[in-house]
Amino acid sequence: MSAKLDTTKRITFIGGGNMANAIIGGLLANGYPPTNIIVSEPFEASREKLQSTFGVLTTTDNAAAVAFSQDPKNVTTPADLVMLAVKPQIMRDVAQGIAHAVQKHKPVVVTIAAGITLKDLAKWLSSDAQGNDISGARSPALVRVMPNTPALVLEGATGLFASSEVTEEQKTLAFNVLGAVSKSAFWVEREELLDVVTGLSGSGPAYFFLMVECLAAAATELGLPSEVAQGLARQTCLGAGRMLVDTAEDPAELRRKVTSPNGTTHAAIQSLEASGMRQAFKDAVVAATKRGEELGKMFSQ
Amino acid sequence: MSAKLDTTKRITFIGGGNMANAIIGGLLANGYPPTNIIVSEPFEASREKLQSTFGVLTTTDNAAAVAFSQDPKNVTTPADLVMLAVKPQIMRDVAQGIAHAVQKHKPVVVTIAAGITLKDLAKWLSSDAQGNDISGARSPALVRVMPNTPALVLEGATGLFASSEVTEEQKTLAFNVLGAVSKSAFWVEREELLDVVTGLSGSGPAYFFLMVECLAAAATELGLPSEVAQGLARQTCLGAGRMLVDTAEDPAELRRKVTSPNGTTHAAIQSLEASGMRQAFKDAVVAATKRGEELGKMFSQPTVSGPKL
Repeated sequence: MSAKLDTTKRITFIGGGNMANAIIGGLLANGYPPTNIIVSEPFEASREKLQSTFGVLTTTDNAAAVAFSQDPKNVTTPADLVMLAVKPQIMRDVAQGIAHAVQKHKPVVVTIAAGITLKDLAKWLSSDAQGNDISGARSPALVRVMPNTPALVLEGATGLFASSEVTEEQKTLAFNVLGAVSKSAFWVEREELLDVVTGLSGSGPAYFFLMVECLAAAATELGLPSEVAQGLARQTCLGAGRMLVDTAEDPAELRRKVTSPNGTTHAAIQSLEASGMRQAFKDAVVAATKRGEELGKMFSQ
Repeated sequence: MSAKLDTTKRITFIGGGNMANAIIGGLLANGYPPTNIIVSEPFEASREKLQSTFGVLTTTDNAAAVAFSQDPKNVTTPADLVMLAVKPQIMRDVAQGIAHAVQKHKPVVVTIAAGITLKDLAKWLSSDAQGNDISGARSPALVRVMPNTPALVLEGATGLFASSEVTEEQKTLAFNVLGAVSKSAFWVEREELLDVVTGLSGSGPAYFFLMVECLAAAATELGLPSEVAQGLARQTCLGAGRMLVDTAEDPAELRRKVTSPNGTTHAAIQSLEASGMRQAFKDAVVAATKRGEELGKMFSQPTVSGPKL
């Protein structure tokens, strides 16, 4: 990832679920001091697990977490970055609940929630818990992120978009925090492109899960014991991914290199082309992208 | 992998190409002493690279490599395992050329060549260079292997079949040698099942390469810069593979866990199902499997100038 991770920055997580756990684990593995991380999380069992596993600070008070202080009048070191790791359905309430603290302390706010646009998040972060505008409120520095499930095993593929208020330093911090769980991460120039990232890598792991399921089932039907078919199919996905990531070559070129004329691979590829695989995958990415756009409008309501 | 790798065994490679290099690299990384490995390879540049990279013994004489000795009359420590890492087209000539040495020293012979059946290999390893039967020849201990390209990055998926002459100790050795480059390896009960392994994992990496190519192209058409689409698509394949390998759960269950009702993933999966993806992948595996069976019969023919695999 780009510039070095600045471990002196204070990071707040609103929500202590799987993604927060994964990112915190990744940060600590990169030498982050746990005392620079606070997690606001309603479930006591989750808070205890965070404390015992990572040694991070925990609270149930979202606004106090943003301020890195239990006393809103005594705030010396507020958060530099606030990660909103809550489900889209509760985002508006969460955002309005921390709006005063965000307006006051001006952290960069990072959302990993699918379907929440920055236009809506900016509005909620400029409104109080009753939904009234906060006087003198400014558009906060916002970063919207589309990660994916393999972030949970530190192998994420991630797209990010920054609002115009985000400084270069804040961009670097946000990028590096997501970099703790991603092996591939890119900024996109327009927020709408995150819907395409959703269709490609956000939802993408499921396409590969489906493919492995289908390949293993086919092999089992042809007589391979299902344990063997599963083991080989799964490892083939991983091995192919490793080769793709490790090489600068086009996937098409890699494919040509392993496809001898008239051989077994050639037969299979011809069959896939004849089945209309290219169009099928294009349609799938388009379907997921469109659904992402729709959800973005829906959560606005 | 099963029992511990026995690094005192002597291993001969006939052919010093990419796969041999990958296996040797994997063995050395597992502590194998390079002096217990010899590679017979015609190209001098390849031999020099093997020596300088790995410190293994090299030669141009296949039979001497099997004997681990330049003097066929003075053989004290012949190979325990002979890996045939040559192209299918020259297998018959290579096998007949080492038949006497194999019959005399009885190593387990491992082939990684696609499309070469053990029936044919056994015949060739019982015939001399002119094709005449060697008198008193016995069926050798043979292991046929279907690895895949990611073995070159030590992430192989591999199927193996052993002829009835192979002892348990020889099976363990062969399995561990392929284990040096494989993260997943299985014995199959019947040789024909290696054609299915071919259709699944042998040719399989290309199916994933094609999928990544298609997904990245689709995303690029929708406006994502191609560098971004490529990076994300490739990593998604790797990340998905990592999750699949690390979990005991069904791929279908993993998929359900990440598919919220009516969400983006649901939309894409429905689209793939409607496109007939299941049948498409089944047809592809069947096509590759069938082609593997055909090639196995083709290389049997006496005059072989058949296609590459």
